[in-house]
Amino acid sequence: MFRRRRFEQIPELNTSSTADISFMLLIFFLVTSSMDTDKGLLRQLPPPPQEQQPPTDVRKDHVLQITLDAHDQLSIDGTLLTTQQLKEQIMTFVAADRTDHVISIQTDRATTYEAYFRMQNAIVAAYNQLRESYARERYGKSYGELVQEQRDEINQYYPQRISESKPSTGGAS
Amino acid sequence: MRRMQSIFRRSSHEMPGLNLASMPDLIFTVLFFFMIVTHMRHDDVRVRYQVPAGTEVQKLQQKSAVINVYLSASQIQVNSQLTDIDHLAALIEAERKKLSPENAERLTVSLKADKHTPMGVIADVKEAIQRSFALRINYSGTEAAQ
Repeated sequence: MFRRRRFEQIPELNTSSTADISFMLLIFFLVTSSMDTDKGLLRQLPPPPQEQQPPTDVRKDHVLQITLDAHDQLSIDGTLLTTQQLKEQIMTFVAADRTDHVISIQTDRATTYEAYFRMQNAIVAAYNQLRESYARERYGKSYGELVQEQRDEINQYYPQRISESKPSTGGAS
Repeated sequence: MRRMQSIFRRSSHEMPGLNLASMPDLIFTVLFFFMIVTHMRHDDVRVRYQVPAGTEVQKLQQKSAVINVYLSASQIQVNSQLTDIDHLAALIEAERKKLSPENAERLTVSLKADKHTPMGVIADVKEAIQRSFALRINYSGTEAAQ
């Protein structure tokens, strides 16, 4: 009687340490992994210039010349302005001449990257705002809610036409 | 009456033990969550940099098709290898060969540059990237409060 009962009782697996093991795994993953999501401004570079490529002619009144000098000062045609003003200027300029405008950027080798990034940010912000308002007008929806085809259409309606020239030298302080 | 009292007293004395059987399951759930949302950091970053902040930054898609270029005024690093401006284009091509064909097609170069880097350095790096035909680039930045 006593013997049989002992055989029937299968000892249960002790699982109290599973929690500790999985905690260790969890801590390992927390330490080795990084949650950081890479964010930034996505831009397209032109293909490398060919040898003896004739410079294309653009009419001067289609060009918005933005200059960033060695002291990180932003100017359009010699007039100093802030990034907020730059955004507004770009918006009026692009809205007036949607498909033929050219935004030309001239930096200096001594310009800091931060100033350049802020300028790029202002340009992207200007285009985004124009596209957003056109998306609302055309589809009654925010640009972010549209499907890819509709976005492509809006991107073609407001194309980004930006030209960057080589940074100038000699603007050292 | 006596019997009732004894039952009552016994039940108040014996605290039921907390059942910890579901504890491992809970922790495993958290573990799997972290395993899915995170990715292993495999670049040993040897360049000191602080990216600028902008309001229009977007999340970079398809992390497996990204080559990271870390940049400060004096140092250049591609993925986990320090290099200089002369070898940059070749190194990017070599890194692209390591990617699968689909990823190589939609390759993005993420430029993680320090905000005090002069544009001369950036322009040289961009030219090298251009020469290696990696034309989608991402100026890495943090999201700024508006």
